[in-house]
Amino acid sequence: MTLDFGVVWARWPELLMGLGGTLFLALSGMILALIIGVLGVAIRRSHSRVGSALVIAFVELIRNTPFLVQIFFIFFALPLAGIRLNPTVTAIIALGLNGGAYAIEIIRGGVESIPKGQTEAGLALGLKPGEIFRKIILKPALRAVFPSLASQFILLTLTTSIATSISAFELTSVAQRIDGDTFRSFEVYFTITAMYLALSWFIMSLFALISRAAFTYPTR
Amino acid sequence: MSTIGTPELLFLLRGLGWTLALTAIGFVGGIAFGLVVALVRVARRRWLRTIAAAWIAIFQGTPLLMQLFVVYFGLPLLGVTVPAWGAVAIALTAHASAYLGEIWRGAIQAVPLGQTEAAHALGIKYRSLMRDIVLPQALRLSLPATIGFLVQLLKGTSLAAIVGFIELTRAGQIVSNQTFKPLIVFGIVGALYFLLCWPLSLWGSRMERRLARDRR
Amino acid sequence: MLAKTTLTAIAATLALSAGLSTAADARSLEDAKASGKLIVGIQADNCPWGCLGSTGEAQGFDAAVARAFAAHLGLEAEFVPMAVANRIPALTTDKVDVLIASLGITAERAQSVQFSQPYAENTLFVTAAKSTDLPDLASLAGRSVGVPRSTPMDTILTAEAPPETRIQRFDDDAANIQALVSGQVEAVGSNQFYIQRLEAARPGEYENKFPIGALYQGIASRLGEADWNTAANEFLDAFIGSDAFDAAYAEWLQVEVPQLPDTIDGVSFTVARQ
Repeated sequence: MTLDFGVVWARWPELLMGLGGTLFLALSGMILALIIGVLGVAIRRSHSRVGSALVIAFVELIRNTPFLVQIFFIFFALPLAGIRLNPTVTAIIALGLNGGAYAIEIIRGGVESIPKGQTEAGLALGLKPGEIFRKIILKPALRAVFPSLASQFILLTLTTSIATSISAFELTSVAQRIDGDTFRSFEVYFTITAMYLALSWFIMSLFALISRAAFTYPTR
Repeated sequence: MSTIGTPELLFLLRGLGWTLALTAIGFVGGIAFGLVVALVRVARRRWLRTIAAAWIAIFQGTPLLMQLFVVYFGLPLLGVTVPAWGAVAIALTAHASAYLGEIWRGAIQAVPLGQTEAAHALGIKYRSLMRDIVLPQALRLSLPATIGFLVQLLKGTSLAAIVGFIELTRAGQIVSNQTFKPLIVFGIVGALYFLLCWPLSLWGSRMERRLARDRR
Repeated sequence: MLAKTTLTAIAATLALSAGLSTAADARSLEDAKASGKLIVGIQADNCPWGCLGSTGEAQGFDAAVARAFAAHLGLEAEFVPMAVANRIPALTTDKVDVLIASLGITAERAQSVQFSQPYAENTLFVTAAKSTDLPDLASLAGRSVGVPRSTPMDTILTAEAPPETRIQRFDDDAANIQALVSGQVEAVGSNQFYIQRLEAARPGEYENKFPIGALYQGIASRLGEADWNTAANEFLDAFIGSDAFDAAYAEWLQVEVPQLPDTIDGVSFTVARQ
């Protein structure tokens, strides 16, 4: 058996569309994860005991079960409870919930690293609690945890490949179609593995740019 | 319509056994090769460091699912015939070696440089410096992250289901299709993973807190 | 630094891909006879064709055929469970000796594997809830239709359904059926056995709407390997029409034994002589 990459590369327009699908899932998932992360931390820092407990339970539940099981549960089991979402929406929600649970822990770590004195200084300056959380706590905290958050989001990007199991459109699903037509499994998966590698490099560079643009003010 | 009884639960538990076996193989293999990757990553020769960095970048920059596919379909092209579980175990081992290698590189470099310099001044050889001074400290520093990755790996074995290997998740799919009770079946499967992963996660965060306290 | 490393990695993997081109050692019939085992790829969850019982042993019509084939060769059958989409790759990459995995004989697949003469028939349908109005292919426009990825249901519907049809591809029949039952798709491309399984899940709710084709299943071996192909055809010559064959058909497929075709367009059942 010899290798033939030609039949795979001939399908480049589909591969590019698939890459677009992957990028869409990844970016939407990241935005949702970030929102869940910030909300979760806000709830945990509020004085609601019940809220805190729910957030902790959510984080532990998500972080200790596989993504594949989570996405199967949302797609195949939730319809029995009357919640039916299409594959793309299911994938984004599953990615957002999964990434969000990790984001909560990461951002919380950052927030706790902000010295108490900073909050007190904010109070002394007459800032409202909301303003203090946003300007004095959240922004420096995000800066502190940006590298961890970035690697978590790279992981989220790679996780999108699992969405093929619920028939969502992304790069892996395109690869499986090409595999189904050509039976060139190794060549197909080798090619898209390289594409994923390029994609994570691209997103990493994107994060580096964001970091430079958003967090330029002096740290000390 | 069949219900979920003892045979179905036993089938799930057999899947669970395979999940544990795959995790154990991947973790033990990952520890052995990960140590090599970490040491090569901090080697004195630049080209060695580049090779280790590329190895890490490949495995951290591509989906585990693709790594499984490439190994599963690629090994036979190299003339190596292995059963499905073997291909999955090899892929998981390589995956783990990259992640653990990177975790331990960080830990090795977190050991203060002054100690290395002091060792040089005392004429201690590289091998002894690593074995007796740097690695023991690095191991302690890296424990929380290492446990965290063990949880990640355990969950990652679920992807073997997609290449048709019957571990816990695939067993869940099969039972769900026989009984048409996905809510209960995936609930049970999720609970089984949780029961395995949660104690590990708790242990990991306790180690982390203890390290943070000691550092103060 | 990291970016540069990643680029090096990409370059390295691409270079590797250019250099990789070795022939694998496929197991011959002789090797199999020496080992005492026939390694058969079978479906894990597609009864009555092939599936695993709750204790993990292979069951179904394909398993019965495989055991008879192994006995014919004086070997013991060892089963490797497969998902739908990795059946052919598993064969071409030497994970199994032959596939007896409800693999329908098609001209496209014959480019990649060597089929034996057919040993069973499988009729394909579009299946949906009784309340869904679906008289023909044209009425699929705008609807979501599930298919198991890379199967003839996928190929036929992709080619023949209106372009507005939303075709959703799942890993296997199991997931496809699950998607219909949980209402994630309005209809599915199915085979003659879906309806039995759907009846078990939700009695009286689903029906076959219209047929989209018939498939004949063959034993697949690797291209050019005459030893396996000849053995499979010789076995089927003796097996088809025997009491054991009729009994297996009645036990698992529960339909009349059909007249199996002698030829299928674009497919040769024997390895061409060079």
